[in-house]
Amino acid sequence: MSAARLIRADIAEMPGSCALPRKSGEMVFLSDWERRAFAIVVNLAEQGQFEWSEFQQQLIDCISDAERDDPQNPSRGYYESWLASLEALLRRKQLLEPLPHAARKAW
Amino acid sequence: MSEHDHDHQAPARPYHRSDRPAEHDKTLADRVARIESLLIAKGLVDKGALDRLIEIYEQDLGPMNGAKVVARAWVDPAYKQRLLNNATAAIAELGFGGLQGEHMIVVENTPQIHNVIVCTLCSCYPWPVLGLPPTWYKDAAYRSRVVIDPRGVLTEFGTQLDDTVEVRVWDSSAEIRYLVLPERPAGTAHLNEDRLAQLIDRDCMIGVKKVRVS
Repeated sequence: MSAARLIRADIAEMPGSCALPRKSGEMVFLSDWERRAFAIVVNLAEQGQFEWSEFQQQLIDCISDAERDDPQNPSRGYYESWLASLEALLRRKQLLEPLPHAARKAW
Repeated sequence: MSEHDHDHQAPARPYHRSDRPAEHDKTLADRVARIESLLIAKGLVDKGALDRLIEIYEQDLGPMNGAKVVARAWVDPAYKQRLLNNATAAIAELGFGGLQGEHMIVVENTPQIHNVIVCTLCSCYPWPVLGLPPTWYKDAAYRSRVVIDPRGVLTEFGTQLDDTVEVRVWDSSAEIRYLVLPERPAGTAHLNEDRLAQLIDRDCMIGVKKVRVS
């Protein structure tokens, strides 16, 4: 693979409430699971398992749900909403189950 | 105190909190680990691909790319000429890309001309070289005021310009993204390219500050 960078504009430039948390231009992850959750969603979208816009809409919905009672003190953090959105999309796309027979056996 | 001062290092959103109890954090980590291992078992993702993605977004999506471009232009006059002639191609030479059809234009600061970039309509930004924009770049206050009173805004960032210096404000768009090539400060002749890159921060490439030798 060449040195070409493969960052997608639609991910890097998400606007408004779903904009990626950052500091001085760089992404901020507070725990390693936030990194993993970020990468899983980007990877699945790059494979075409879903459109980025579909995940983005789910994330916007999850964030506004968390902000419903008190926008200044949401009930969960950004990547918690991110994770909830990932789980919702995995369910909707039935990506986690049932496991294919071969994979289950190998497990 | 201007609103710029306290927004510089502010997180993008207040709810990106770090005050989670350790136990809750562990639960979240377990949920993610379970998803990851199920997806790996199904052959939908592989660990190496995830690691690569994290590296690309976390390390390459930042102002360090722009700093490398500027440092190369300072030490290599032929590269600088290519950068000023066709910034998109010259930046791609260093392996930085990802824009989709937008053109990059690099504007050079000189003793007579100081450049500063803005997006008056929204928040267009040369993110492959500068990372994600700072909060204040998206504020209506910066977007409107830098056009009307650029010297005043620059002063708030601690940048005092001589009256003889012409200030040029470049309005980014969906098609064109600007990057400021700051002046190389005096007293840096002994520094190599890597050391020079460390002097160059994001604000200098937006044009609200000058490069200083720390």
